[in-house]
Amino acid sequence: MTAITLEAPMTGLGEVTAALVGRQNAGKTSLMMHLTGQVQKPVNFPGSSVERGESRVKVGEFVLRLVDLPGIASLSAVSPDEEVALDYLTGTGDDRPQVICAVVDAAKLTVELTLVANLFELGKPIVVALNKLDVAEAEGRAVDVELLADALGVPVIPTNALTGQGAEALGHALIRTAHIPHQQLQRFDPHAVAARAQQVSARSGTRTFTDRLDAVLLHRVWGLPILLLVMLGMFQTLFSVATPFMDLIDSGQTALGDAVASAIEPGAVQSFLVDGLINGIGSVLIFLPQIALLMLVVALLEGTGYMARAAFLLDRPLSRVGLSGRSFVPMVSSFACAVPGILASRIIENERDRIATVVVSPLMSCSARLPVYVLLIGAFFPAKAGGVVLLSMYLLGIVVAVLVAFILRRTVLRGPSSALMMELPVYQRPSARVVWAQVQSGCRDFLVLAGTVIFAAAVIIWLLSYYPRPQELHDHFVSARDTAAEKLEGEQLDQAVSVIDDAERAAFLEQSFLADIGRFIHPIFEPAGWDWRTSVGVVAAFPARELIVPTMGILYSLGDVDPGDYSVDSLGEPEAEGGSGLRDVLKTARRADGSLAFGPLQAVGLMVFFALCSQCAATLATIRRETRSWKWPVFTFAYMTFLGWLGAVLVFQVGSALGLG
Amino acid sequence: MTQNPTATTLDSLAPGRTALVLDVVGEDRLSKRLSDLGFWSGTRIEVIRRAPFGDPTQYRLQGYRIALRRAEAQRVVVEELR
Repeated sequence: MTAITLEAPMTGLGEVTAALVGRQNAGKTSLMMHLTGQVQKPVNFPGSSVERGESRVKVGEFVLRLVDLPGIASLSAVSPDEEVALDYLTGTGDDRPQVICAVVDAAKLTVELTLVANLFELGKPIVVALNKLDVAEAEGRAVDVELLADALGVPVIPTNALTGQGAEALGHALIRTAHIPHQQLQRFDPHAVAARAQQVSARSGTRTFTDRLDAVLLHRVWGLPILLLVMLGMFQTLFSVATPFMDLIDSGQTALGDAVASAIEPGAVQSFLVDGLINGIGSVLIFLPQIALLMLVVALLEGTGYMARAAFLLDRPLSRVGLSGRSFVPMVSSFACAVPGILASRIIENERDRIATVVVSPLMSCSARLPVYVLLIGAFFPAKAGGVVLLSMYLLGIVVAVLVAFILRRTVLRGPSSALMMELPVYQRPSARVVWAQVQSGCRDFLVLAGTVIFAAAVIIWLLSYYPRPQELHDHFVSARDTAAEKLEGEQLDQAVSVIDDAERAAFLEQSFLADIGRFIHPIFEPAGWDWRTSVGVVAAFPARELIVPTMGILYSLGDVDPGDYSVDSLGEPEAEGGSGLRDVLKTARRADGSLAFGPLQAVGLMVFFALCSQCAATLATIRRETRSWKWPVFTFAYMTFLGWLGAVLVFQVGSALGLG
Repeated sequence: MTQNPTATTLDSLAPGRTALVLDVVGEDRLSKRLSDLGFWSGTRIEVIRRAPFGDPTQYRLQGYRIALRRAEAQRVVVEELR
C-alpha cells in the first residue's frame, strides 16, 4: 500500500470511527472479528441494538474503532434495531462514525445494493465490503468488483468473512476514506448497477450443493427424522462428553474442600469456606462443561446453516403454541441444562417469542433433576415401572411448557404472530474463529454471572443453614464424643464418631434458620402429604435442586428426632449412609405419630414438584441477564413454584381420594 | 391492481412453479419488509418446497433462499410463468 500522509482526524489522537452496517447473514460480525483480531460476540442478541459491539485495531498510524451495528435490511426505521442504527448513523454528537462500512453479500447483490443506496443518502464517506464472492460464483452470480466500484464511485473491497481475506485491505480503505473531505456520492439505481456488475450466468437457478443438501435435510419425510438424529447426537454429546469434565470439577471441589477442612479449625470460617464458598462456586462451575459444549454445538449448527433449517422444519407446530421454529434448539438444550438453553435463545429475533421461550425452557427436565427422580423411583417403584415413570416426568415438563407458552402468548406476551421471513443461508464450513468466539462468549457470560448473583445466593443459603449455633448444642456433641472416646476404641470408635458427626450436622440443620423457614412454610406443603423434613429439604433445594438429596440424607437418617431432644442414643443404624441407604430410610421413615412419613403418592408428588418447580439460582440469574429485567426471573420463579406446588397437592389429594398409595 | 386474470398470490403456487412478482399488497411493516427482501415487481421467484407440516415454504429469489409463512406469502401477488 502506498504511504499516505494525512493530518490527524477530527476526533484527535489518530482515531477513526467506522460503523459496520449490513443485513443479518451478510457476515459483518465475523468480518469485524477478522479486522480487529479480537474475539467479539458474533451473536446479534437483543439489546445489542443498544449495546452495540465495539472493537479497536491499529491500522498503520491510526486506531480504527469499529462499531458493529445490529443487522438491518433498510434505513426505514420500522424496527427498533433500524431505529438505533439510523440514530447512530445520523447522530451529531461526539460519538459519530466518520466512515460507514457497508457489508454486502455478493450473491444477492441487487437486494443488498438497495441498502447501500439508502446509506448513500446519509452523505457520509462509505466503503463497501463485498463479502461471499465465492458463494456468488457458486450460485452462478459472479460479481465484477472493479465494475461495481466504478458504478458506485466508492471503494469496494472484496472480503471473505470465513477466512478473513481482505480484512486488512478493508481497514486501510476505511482509514483512507475517512480522510477524504467530500466523497462524491452519486445516487444510483440498484437494479441498473447490479445488472451491470453481476453476471447472472445460465447456471444460476440450477441446483447447487446447497439445493442438493436441502433436498435431503428438508425432505418432507426424512427431514424430521434427520433432525431428530442430529438432536439426539447433540444430547448424547452433552451428556457423555461433559460427564468426565463434570466429575473432574466435582472431585476437584471435594479435594479442595477436604484440604481446606483439614487445614482450618472446625467452625464458622471452615464451614463458610467449605460449605458456602467452595460448594457454592463448585455447584455453579459444574455446569460449565455442558455450557461450553452446548455453545459449541449451537455455534456449529448456526455456522453451517443447519439451524435455520431446523427452524424451517418445526416452525409450524411451534408457532401454533406461540413459539417460533427458532425456539426448538433452546428448548431441547434445556433438557441438559436450562442455563445454556436460555443463552441459546439469543438466536430468536422476535422479542415476545424469545421471552416465551426463555420462560418455559426451565420446565424441561434438566440433568440436575435426574438424581431426584432416580432416588424416589428407586425407593417407591418396581424396576419395571421405573422407565415409564421417568419418561412421564419428562413428558410432564414438555406438556406444561407448551400450555404455559400458549397461555403467555395470549395474555402477558400477547402480540401479532411474528413474521418468519427467514433467510436459509448456503451451507458452509463454519469459521473456527467465530465458533470459538461464541463458545468463549457464552462461558464468559456465565462465569460473570456465577461470580456475582449465584455466589451471593450461595452465601445467603449458607448463612441460613449454618446459624444460629447454640452453645449447649455444641457442648452436647462434644461431651457425646468424649463419652464415646472413653468407652470405645478402634473401628468401633470411628464408627460412633462418624454417627455422632452426622447427628451433629442434622441437629444444627434442624434448628437453623433454614429449618425454621421450612417448618414455617410447612403448612403450605401439608396438603401434599409431606412431613416437615420434606418441606425443609424442598426449601434447602431452592438455590439448586440437587441439594434435596444430601439434605434429606441428613434429615432422614435420624428418624423423626424432635429438634428439642438431641438424644444421641436414638441414632439411626449405620446402614443409613450413602445413596442406597437413603432409599430404604425413605421407605421406612415414620412420623412422630408412627404413620409412614413417605408413600408412593408423596414420592410422585415430590417428583412432580421437582419437575415443575424453579429451583435453580443459576437459571433465574441467567433469565435476569438475558431479559435485562427482574420481571421475568421473578415471574418464572412464581409461576413454576406455584405449578410445582399445585402438581404435588393434586397428586396427593386426587390419589388419596381414589384410594391409591 | 389484480386485473390480470392470471394473477394469483404466492402462497397458492405449488412447489416447483416459477412466477414473476407483480405487487406486494399493503403499506405496513410486513410489506415494507418483503420489499426490503427483494420482493419487487418483475422479480422472478421459484417455489422450492413446503416444510413437512405444510408451512412455511422455501422460495428462491434474487440469488438466495428464504422461508415464508403462508400469511406472509399471501401478501405477494404473482403471475405464474409456464
